[in-house]
Amino acid sequence: MWLPILGLILGLALGYILPVNIPTAYAPYVSIAVLAALDSVFGGVRAWLEKKFDIEVFVSGFFGNAILAAVLAYIGDRLDIPIYLAAIFAFGTRLFQNFAIIRRYILKSISGKDKIED
Amino acid sequence: MNKKSGQLAIMFVSMILGIMLAAQFKNVQRVGGSTSIQRAEELTARVQKLTQENEDLQEQIRQFQQRIREYEQSAQNTGQLAQTVENELQQMRMLAGLTDVEGPGLIITVDENIPMAIQYDNLLTIVNELNAAGAEAIAINEERIIATTEIRNAGNHININTTPYSPPYVFKVIGDAENLEKALTLRGGVVDMLSTYNITVRIQKTDKVTVPKYAGAIKFKYAKPVPPKE
Repeated sequence: MWLPILGLILGLALGYILPVNIPTAYAPYVSIAVLAALDSVFGGVRAWLEKKFDIEVFVSGFFGNAILAAVLAYIGDRLDIPIYLAAIFAFGTRLFQNFAIIRRYILKSISGKDKIED
Repeated sequence: MNKKSGQLAIMFVSMILGIMLAAQFKNVQRVGGSTSIQRAEELTARVQKLTQENEDLQEQIRQFQQRIREYEQSAQNTGQLAQTVENELQQMRMLAGLTDVEGPGLIITVDENIPMAIQYDNLLTIVNELNAAGAEAIAINEERIIATTEIRNAGNHININTTPYSPPYVFKVIGDAENLEKALTLRGGVVDMLSTYNITVRIQKTDKVTVPKYAGAIKFKYAKPVPPKE
């Protein structure tokens, strides 16, 4: 359970220290990609809690969703179709759903009733 | 699929997520996000429009000044009285800053070592010192300092006579060069004080400096002259 958080902190530190600079023109697409990635991580945590975690699905979903979201947003911008709204809506909704499920699992494991094995 | 490698995968992926988040965060900090880009575009459009309007108005001023000159010339031709009036007018125009003037004085270059070091009050202090030391005409970056001149911060710039400027600021001053320089370089004086704010002041004495006239229009909407009481 602590490894993802450790990884996140490590990544934040790395990203802050490393001179990774996104060109301003691409910043909106990266923000969509970040949202997709966030969604994948929540999805991964949820699947892991549900014991349905599959590493291939998880990793491919993480990169696939992020890249697809960014590319779709980019194409949408070229065509003047706000596809990024669809991405925000889809990933945003899923993010909150996943979080709700994760929250229930955690609450259950804290309160002890119907205890979940690690 | 064992549990360990699954956790490692999540850790790896969340690390990449962290890098993306941090990079995006830095980017937003630097640029200010998409709203500020929109705002900047909006403001740019407005600046362009206002610049255009400004140019038109400047053109109008030029035309009006041309007309005034014509009137003055025709008045000059009508006789001795007109000559006296013309002389007085010339004097008044000089005082009001409506004519280019030249004479001995200083050229002062004020620049900053770190961004945003120069604030409007630094410039005001210099103007104040110069006036106290008997400066007869002052211009900053070709903007004549007159009675209604404002020197104030406007965003990253300093507005002088409603025109935005950024460093370096070049003062052109007419007056007793010796006195003016001493007034500024006094121990503990303006130049000393500004150097502690990372502002460099370079003073250059000159035999002949031209101070341009005030380029705007002066009009009184509210003030009216009061007739002298006997």
